[in-house]
Parts: sequence; C-alpha cells; structure tokens
Amino acid sequence: MFTLLRDLRSLRRSLALPRPDRGRSLAVRHVDAGSCNGCEHELTLVSGPAYDLARFGLGVVASPRHADVLLVSGTVTTRMREPLLTAYAAMPEPRRVAALGDCALGVGVLGLPGELAGPVEDLLPVDLRIPGCPPSPERIAAALVALVDGVPFP
Amino acid sequence: MRGPMRGPAGEAVVPDGGPRVVAAPPGYREWAGSLLAAGHRFAGLSVAPGGDAVRAWFAAPGAGGEVEIVTAPVVDGAAPALVDLVPAADWDEREAHDLHGIRFTGHEPLRPLVDHDAPLAAWTVPVHGEDAYQVAVGPIHAGVIESGHFRFHLVGDRILHLDARLFYKHRGLERAAEGRSPQEALAYVARACAACAVASPVAYALAVEQLTGLVSTPQLARPRTVLLELERVWNHLNDVAAVCAGVGLAAGNTRFSALTDRMRRLNAGLAGHRFLFGAVRIGRSDLALDAGGARALREELAQVRAAASASWRDLVFNPSFAARLTDVGVVTADDARRLGTVGPAARAAGLADDVRTRSPHLAYEGFEPVRPDLAGGDVRARFEQRALELWQSFDLLDRLLDGPLVPAEAEPSSGPPGPAGSSGPPAVPAVAVGQVESPRGATSCLVESDGGRVTRLRLRTGSFANWPSVAFAAAGTLLPDFPLVNKSFELCYACADR
Repeated sequence: MFTLLRDLRSLRRSLALPRPDRGRSLAVRHVDAGSCNGCEHELTLVSGPAYDLARFGLGVVASPRHADVLLVSGTVTTRMREPLLTAYAAMPEPRRVAALGDCALGVGVLGLPGELAGPVEDLLPVDLRIPGCPPSPERIAAALVALVDGVPFP
Repeated sequence: MRGPMRGPAGEAVVPDGGPRVVAAPPGYREWAGSLLAAGHRFAGLSVAPGGDAVRAWFAAPGAGGEVEIVTAPVVDGAAPALVDLVPAADWDEREAHDLHGIRFTGHEPLRPLVDHDAPLAAWTVPVHGEDAYQVAVGPIHAGVIESGHFRFHLVGDRILHLDARLFYKHRGLERAAEGRSPQEALAYVARACAACAVASPVAYALAVEQLTGLVSTPQLARPRTVLLELERVWNHLNDVAAVCAGVGLAAGNTRFSALTDRMRRLNAGLAGHRFLFGAVRIGRSDLALDAGGARALREELAQVRAAASASWRDLVFNPSFAARLTDVGVVTADDARRLGTVGPAARAAGLADDVRTRSPHLAYEGFEPVRPDLAGGDVRARFEQRALELWQSFDLLDRLLDGPLVPAEAEPSSGPPGPAGSSGPPAVPAVAVGQVESPRGATSCLVESDGGRVTRLRLRTGSFANWPSVAFAAAGTLLPDFPLVNKSFELCYACADR
C-alpha cells in the first residue's frame, strides 16, 4: 500500500494537475453512443486513483436528471440516437454537452453510413470538445477541470 | 486460379494453418457433426459474398491451428441450421438472418438479435407465472459502461432468465470494410474494440496473410506475441479491478486500476499508443526496441508484477471479499462446452481450451493453459483465473523480451503449387480464418477476397462468443449480484456489436 501511495503521489506530481482548491462542482452523465470502448476505459481511469476527479468537484452521476454535463463518446449510431436524445431531454437546465473523443467529434469515423446518425454535433449543441483516439485520462481530466472552472479548453 | 474453392471431391488442404474448404451439398450438417465429434470447436459462421452460401468454421484440436470451413448453399433464402448440433451457433445464425436475410431451417424460433425493429415479444423468451415480472435496464447504464439493454425476468430478487439485447453500438464496420483493400480494412477491424486492439488485428492479419500467400516467421511472431501479451496484462489487471468494483471493494479497485494505467503508459512508451492501436501490421512488424529498451521494459514489467502480486495477496486473504464471489454465477464445464464458452471463463469452468496451444504463427512454443485449483466456474474461479494468467503472461513477456525487438516481415508461403502445369506462384485460398486467444478468449476472423478487395469480413471475438454465457450465468442468481457476474466476464459490447 505504501508503494502504491508513493506511486500515486509521483504520478500526480508528474501530471501537474491544478490543485483542488475550487468551490465549484459539476455532475457528469456519460453516454456511450457507439464508441470502441477506448473512451470508456480512459474515462473510468479519470475517476480512478491517479486522476481522482472528485477532488475537483467532478463526479459521474447515475441519472441525467442529476447531471449538469452530458459527456458523449462515440459516433452516434442510429440505434443510440433516441436513447441519447432522451437522456439530454431528461437533464435540468442549464446543461452542457461534451463530446469525448474523435468519433464523437466526427473525425475519422468508420462504419456504414446507414448505421450512423452522425457526430454528436448533428444532434445536440456541443459546448466542449475533447479530441483524441481515445483522449488520454490527463486530457479528459484537464478538459473537465477547465469546464468546472469556466475557462476555455484549448 | 485464384483460390481452391473446389467441388465436394476436390478439397484443398492449405498448409500453414490455412482453412480446408469443404463444399456441400450434401453433408453440411454431417460434416459439421463429424468435425465436432472429432474434437473440433465451432469457431464462427459467415455468409459468402453474394449471400448464396453460408460457411461454418471449425477449429481443429491439434497444435497446427487449422480451421476447417464447411459450406452450405443458400436455397430459396434458407440454409440448414447447426444450432441443434452446436448451440454456440445460436447468435451467429441469428446475426446472419438479421444482417443478410438468411433463414436457418430448423432454428426455431429464430429470434431477432441485431434487428432492433422487432417488438419485445419477438426477441424475448416468454416467461409466465405467478409473481414473475420484468426489469429493463439500459441501454444507458448508471456508471461509465458501454451501451446495451438487459431485460431480466424475475421472481422477487431471483433472476429466472435474462434476455440481453446488444447491438446498440452496431456501426456496420464489417460491411463498411468490404470492397476495400486488405490494408484499408485493417483499420475497421482494429477500431472495432479498444480492449482487443491487438488481438483482432492479429487474427485479421493472419487471415489476410494466408490470402496473399504469406506466412509468418519466428522474427515476426515474437513482436506480435509481445503485443498480445501486453494487451492481456492490462485487460486482466482491469478485470480484477472491475470485480473489486463490482462488490464495492475500493481498495482492490484502486490498486488494480492504478496498475492498469501503468500498463497503458508502458504501452504508449513502447508503441506510441496506450491501447496499442496501429501497432499490428499486415505481413510485417515495425516494432523496434534496442537491447537497453528491452531490458528496461522487462524491469518495469517485473515491478508491475511485484505490485500486482502484493495487491493480489491482500485480496486472497480477505475472507469477506472471497465470500461474495464463491458459488455466484456458476457455469460448469458441461455448460461451458455446450454454450461454446471461451477464454478465461471456459478455463475457470475446467476446460483446457486456449488458442495459444494451437498458434504455430505466434511465439507460444510449449504453452500450457493454466486452471485454478477449484475450477468451479463461479465468479471466484473466473477471478482467480485472471491472476493465474497474469503471472503466466509476465513469464512469457520476460522470456520474449530477452533481447531487442527488430522490424520483421512475413515471407512467401510454400503452399501447394498452382494449377497443374503452371510454374506460377503457389495457389492462395480465397477465404481464410485467423484465430488468436484474446484476453476474453478465442477471437476468429474470416476474410474472403477476390484477389485485391475484401469481399467478406467477419470478426467473431471472445466477447461475442461469451455473451450467451453471461446470460446463462445470471439465471438463478440475485439481481443485485448481476453486476458482479457481468464483471467476472468483463465482456466488451463494442466488438460484439461491431
């Protein structure tokens, strides 16, 4: 356990994430609209020990009714179009949409056009773009922290 | 002549692990039955280009890695079903019906699988009785989980039956890849699933190499095997963390999640990508690592192993944790054989099957599958299986990294000669199957080609093979235990849906 804590400390130092001293928070609901599971794997680590987004007031919540941000991964398949729109409609306002990963941004999408409803932007207003295939946990963490701080994410 | 697609009498045997194409009629079912009786394992089913035939693939039991393909013509839109001979063909036949419109005579009822337009009654098994009710979950789940729908039939908290409705993430990747060159189609296979970003492309590359008259060399086998085992290590670490999360044991989840991240960093350092996307090439490997780099990689892997082993000891000696896993979600050896369960889940049930024992084109000489002492097929056995395989993969990697990794290429195959009288290159088949042991189990990839273009692609991953086993294991358990049962398989939706 000691080695683990030491590893985590050095990892956090090397990532140079900002100090958790903000008094704000955002509740995030994730929707996989047709990803390859890469974004999900990296997002899982973001709430894990090394990045620990809860320190920055960010948490993944179970229901869109509790969420401020809809974090969408994958290009939207025709079959996930309705569930995605339903989740968005269930969110209280004000609400934000974040597109996670290149597929969600419509970059380099593979698949049969008839099975795809398009990138997230075609269906919902996107406020935050997190590029990468998949974006690394550092990048996801930095983007979400920028969102909670209300500063633009490059 | 481009490929040995010959008549019933003219079977062509392609060496180097190539498929033997056996045409029917008559005898599709008879051939399949005799192969199964001879110890072959069902490896998948596909529809021929043009939709005029179906092909069932069977992996031979020996170390040679041959896959035999049995073909039946489609007459009036129908082909004979195999599902009564081999229940593992259930999903394959339902998928072939939904995507290609082929009916399977004798497969009754042929419930929709990929087709989402059908009403509830069409795709669920009818469950009636006093106090029986349904709980619908998904496609969007409460955590960070892929999309898929589960319909539980319950009495009280007890699951009577589970109908899983996946394919919400169906992107039509295989059909989109058809008509493209083998090189272009590689990206479609790779992007099917991040957790199999090595295994699926290797299975595909092995198939394409057969189609293009290439055969792997020991120099090419080594870097590919390194990549495959690195993928297994991060996946198994992730799976151990997932089971801990499934029972709310934060300490175990935290420690194994951190190690998963460490392995992905290691991957990025070696091949430039945390999931090793793009590291597998057709007919070649560009992976380069000098002696110093290989030594450093070995040392880091030794550190990860030591940390994993220390964390594992804490889990094993945690009696309340172990009690949560024991006798939950049981799949016995007989069940696993019947359902066609593959990978760690099958070995945890006591089956010794592992594609690594029959992978002559990968560096697995002398490989023996491991099984837990008590291969009871429950969550605990599947959990322990991951640890046993982890130590084995660390051993393999240690052996494989005892020197530098250098770029390597496949060489021309010494296959059977071309048509009689010709002095041209050896005949290449028009259809081939590559098989690899992915972290979830046997992944098979069938590729058909007209010489320059892929005319049919079907990827049957370990996850696709094992989803029916998850539903089977869930029956009889309590609904609150389902996440745990599910995590003990830790299947991907992405590469099942494609």
